[in-house]
Amino acid sequence: MSALGHYLEEEDLATVAISLTRPQTERTRPPRALWVPFELGRPFGPPSDPGFQKRVILAALRLVEREDGPVLIEDFPDDDPRARPDPGWRLPFDHAAAADGSAEVMAREFESEIDLLRGHHDRWVTQRGYSTLGLSGLSIADCGRLVAGQLRGEVLASPRATFSPPLMLRFAVDDLKAYYLEAGAAGSAKPSSRQLGDWFWNATAAGAALHAVRAACLTSSDDRLKLIAGNFMVPAARVLAPG
Amino acid sequence: MTRLTDLPPAQAKRLAELECPDFTTRPWVKGPALPQCRVAIVSSAGLVVRGEEPFRGRDADYRAIPADTRAKDLLISHISINFDRTGFQEDWNVVFPLDRLNELAADAVIGEVAQTHYSFMGATDPVLMEPHARELAGRLKDDRVDTVILPPV
Repeated sequence: MSALGHYLEEEDLATVAISLTRPQTERTRPPRALWVPFELGRPFGPPSDPGFQKRVILAALRLVEREDGPVLIEDFPDDDPRARPDPGWRLPFDHAAAADGSAEVMAREFESEIDLLRGHHDRWVTQRGYSTLGLSGLSIADCGRLVAGQLRGEVLASPRATFSPPLMLRFAVDDLKAYYLEAGAAGSAKPSSRQLGDWFWNATAAGAALHAVRAACLTSSDDRLKLIAGNFMVPAARVLAPG
Repeated sequence: MTRLTDLPPAQAKRLAELECPDFTTRPWVKGPALPQCRVAIVSSAGLVVRGEEPFRGRDADYRAIPADTRAKDLLISHISINFDRTGFQEDWNVVFPLDRLNELAADAVIGEVAQTHYSFMGATDPVLMEPHARELAGRLKDDRVDTVILPPV
């Protein structure tokens, strides 16, 4: 964002970047930036906290009124209160993933788990009024079938002409993760992203399935599939050590 | 998980050492007072309006997000999976604070909110984004925008 600030400012627009990675901002030196101590993905801090979000926005916009630049890099002082775990949050189900089962068992577990979560996800949609699923353009059941097919060793095919098979797989995985994380957050508790991520990657059949699909794709002769599976399916912090 | 020191070491190192443009100029445009400013969001979250083509790989262009877009119609298609999406799933203002800007404008804290906002895909090489950013500046000025807030993910 710092580079965009530089380009737009050169075109006579006043800009302020939000910075989540201070070292990058210090090196790029945009006209103005507000560094925020929030996790990646939350540049305005906690969800469902309009007052906090407005404080971040105003701290940033007030830099535009200042005359003592360039370069202005200020720090937002407060942490995101929603980064803390919620001890009141409960797992959507107490369900042991079949991580050590055969590929077919894992695929069946995964597909039945998607059905099991449907009520939770419906509850989320009722609560929020919408879902962020939709990148793939497939139903969640079809996303599940596409990924389960990879567990079963099926040839990867894209149901959409505009997406290559590897790209289709990437978007289907994005939608599956969104489905699970939305379902996991349904209810009145406010789980942290880490709580939800720990549940998804360590305690669901879907997490086990994605690890297995990633490992299988990395042995593919399709370099694009290897690239997508290796980098854009399982977060770096969740990749399992070999063996 | 709020600072680089809270990230897995390899990810923190990659982020901290990511190659950045080495600009030789230091542009500076004095902005208007907040009650007079007209604000646009230019995100780098790979945001797309539902139904439009998502960003693929490291596309260098940008997508328009009209001001009447609803939360249910905005998706993240950023290529990186190493950032939180649960905040956005609960409340799009975490990434794209359009509701908050509209409230600030309604309270006369800021002047106005742009008719159209935009998103790039932030993992793209900034050098490739440059011509698109310069072209976007013209569109922003056509919309009488004088203040741009640039949130990443």
